[in-house]
Amino acid sequence: MAVLTFTLSEEGVTAFRDALNCLSKFSEDVSIEARKDSFFLSTMNTSKSAYASFRFATSRFFGRYQYQGTGPFQEKFFCSMYIRGLASLFRSRSGVESRSEGDKQSIIDRCDVAIEDGEGIKSRFIARIIFRNGLTATHRLPFEVSMPVHAKFNKQEALYHWSISSRTLKQLVDHFGPGTEYLDINTDGDHVNFTCFSEKTISDDAVLKKPLHTSIAVETDEFDDIDVEDKLQIVVSIKDVRAITQHAAITGNAIVARYSLPAKPMQISYSGDAISCEFLIMTVGERGGNPEKRTKKVRKGAANKGSNSISKAMPHLEETSRRGSSTPSQTMADIQRKQAASPSMPPPSSSRQPPNPTPRLSAARASASRIGAFDFRPSQRPPPPTLRSESLFVEDEAWEPVRDDDEDADEDARLEWDHSADPVSFPLQIVEIMTRG
Amino acid sequence: MAAEVKPVFRAVSTSPRPLYQLLRCIDFAQRVHVQITEDGIRFAADNSRVMQGVAFLDKTLFSAYTVNFPLSEDGETPEYPNFQIPLSTFLEILQIFGSVDMAARAQKADQDPYRSNFRNYRPSAFSNQTLGIPGTCTMLYAEEGDPFKVTLEESGIKTTSALSTYLPEMPEDIPFDRNDLTFKIIMSSRTLFDCIAEIIPAGPVKLTITATKTSPFLTLSCAGDIGSSSVDFARGKDLLETFTINERWSQAYKFDFIRHASEAMRIASKVSLRGDSQGVLSLQFMVDVEGGKRSFLDFRFVPFASHDDGDEEDDVESEAYD
Repeated sequence: MAVLTFTLSEEGVTAFRDALNCLSKFSEDVSIEARKDSFFLSTMNTSKSAYASFRFATSRFFGRYQYQGTGPFQEKFFCSMYIRGLASLFRSRSGVESRSEGDKQSIIDRCDVAIEDGEGIKSRFIARIIFRNGLTATHRLPFEVSMPVHAKFNKQEALYHWSISSRTLKQLVDHFGPGTEYLDINTDGDHVNFTCFSEKTISDDAVLKKPLHTSIAVETDEFDDIDVEDKLQIVVSIKDVRAITQHAAITGNAIVARYSLPAKPMQISYSGDAISCEFLIMTVGERGGNPEKRTKKVRKGAANKGSNSISKAMPHLEETSRRGSSTPSQTMADIQRKQAASPSMPPPSSSRQPPNPTPRLSAARASASRIGAFDFRPSQRPPPPTLRSESLFVEDEAWEPVRDDDEDADEDARLEWDHSADPVSFPLQIVEIMTRG
Repeated sequence: MAAEVKPVFRAVSTSPRPLYQLLRCIDFAQRVHVQITEDGIRFAADNSRVMQGVAFLDKTLFSAYTVNFPLSEDGETPEYPNFQIPLSTFLEILQIFGSVDMAARAQKADQDPYRSNFRNYRPSAFSNQTLGIPGTCTMLYAEEGDPFKVTLEESGIKTTSALSTYLPEMPEDIPFDRNDLTFKIIMSSRTLFDCIAEIIPAGPVKLTITATKTSPFLTLSCAGDIGSSSVDFARGKDLLETFTINERWSQAYKFDFIRHASEAMRIASKVSLRGDSQGVLSLQFMVDVEGGKRSFLDFRFVPFASHDDGDEEDDVESEAYD
């Protein structure tokens, strides 16, 4: 007995393929969840730092969609499948296309899918692909009935958001080199900076031990809508972002990102034709000096004014995030932080660091990158914790060309190149640091 | 032996590309059995006596083709020369053709690193071959026991290679009873190729071919690691040009063997599938070669013995979609 049957047109097959391709960049398995009126594909990566879901509008996306749940699947059906197997069914048959001159435009007439499960029936995902030329291919894939894990995102807590055309974002992301790991998103007045960098070293022999560090400043005009705390650095995995933007660019619609503070999940969502896509990725990063100051360009709706009280509570939240361990407390979703964990692992060179690593350390290393700041050797020496959220210390460290572990932090600051655009404010900050320290 | 004695076999080809194309299709055995006749050369490759591929190079493919067979004892019927040569080496030699072009192209690619290497294998519009300055390929077999000499001449460069010949093993052809055919299907070879390509992702080990009188007429099915797949012609009877069948026929073959024939499926225009009552499958490919000529490739496959895999076969069948 088929629990679920649906029909995909050729465009549907293509859309399915795109979605599966995107999902396969997160995990090896995909969860299918079907109800009478909804169909989900979702996955969560093994480190549980990223979650992707695609929701298909059953009435518009599918040529025919019939859900006949019985027994345990009365309300909804769910299963988990191997993505590679599934994706091979919906793969592009362009090889066939290029050779037969007759029907170049379309090869697949339709694709009938039936999911069979129940007592005495083999659990099979049956895809029957009917080709234009008359061939019929039937593929049967086994699946495992397992409850999908969904990550939840609390929009109320997401203070900041921006939206941008997916094509624009993809163009930006295309600039980032293959060896990079993290993407730092931060704002600086009229600009939003996308900085891509890596924490791992290529080889010990190389002079530049870290691969290309790319920074792109985007004017806020490029964004449809933006409301972000100034100098808030949010760091996410570039691999995830790349996977998302590649798929989003196919739909061509605007991407909306919502997030609050580092170590809280970031939601990236967009909608395609009859598909809505949502991704939750874990963030690390750190705040700039000025929680009150916002980079804003609102086209619709008023800015969220009541955010300051929450911002005040932030140093505490940050601190937990900076410890970089897998603290379960602050996360809304049951997502662990891969990104948070990896920068916190001390690189070999940091073995000589002071025995009292402050919470500051991991975040400083993970995010000590700003526009125009080459982070060849982030300082191993954390500044006094009291300065943490007020100072712009990160900027200073980032320009340290040579690390010297014996120097103290204040000296570091003075030895660096001042790359700041505002030459006046910089010394003032140092004075501030010194007086406070 | 005096120099004036005519060689046993001498053939000259001005367009060796078809030779290469055809021989590449049977490149699954180390050595290939060569038999020279008045009508052409027959190359037969054999894999463990369960798969056989034969490429016949008709003498019309050559611009000059002379044979001078020694007479047999009774002085009546000439003996056809029989020997074995390593096929991959022979193919490599034939590939020397176009190497001048390749070198030129490589040089160009060096100079222009931005030149895409996408579809680099395609002959460019200015290659010697396209411009009609082809090389010549001369094959020479002087006498029994001599090496098989291949001389290639292109753009003033002459390459002579001598392939050691081995004593023929004389493997018998896989017995295929033409008079006891269970079915015969002729269709576009491309369709068969697509069918095979469709089920490859399932990672099959065994391919079951089923021909039935009624729909779905012809089914290729397999079960692999990540699921099972099948392709049928239920709606595609028009794809089958000729369809004659006596009774239901179903046999399983090792998928890898069938896949060895995929190169032939790719270049051929038509394929004739035939199965005899013993389960031997014959695939005959008609290949249109340059100059409007036709060549044939012949493959034969021995099926898995049906008694020891009865269970699995049933399994595949029971999974066939209604």
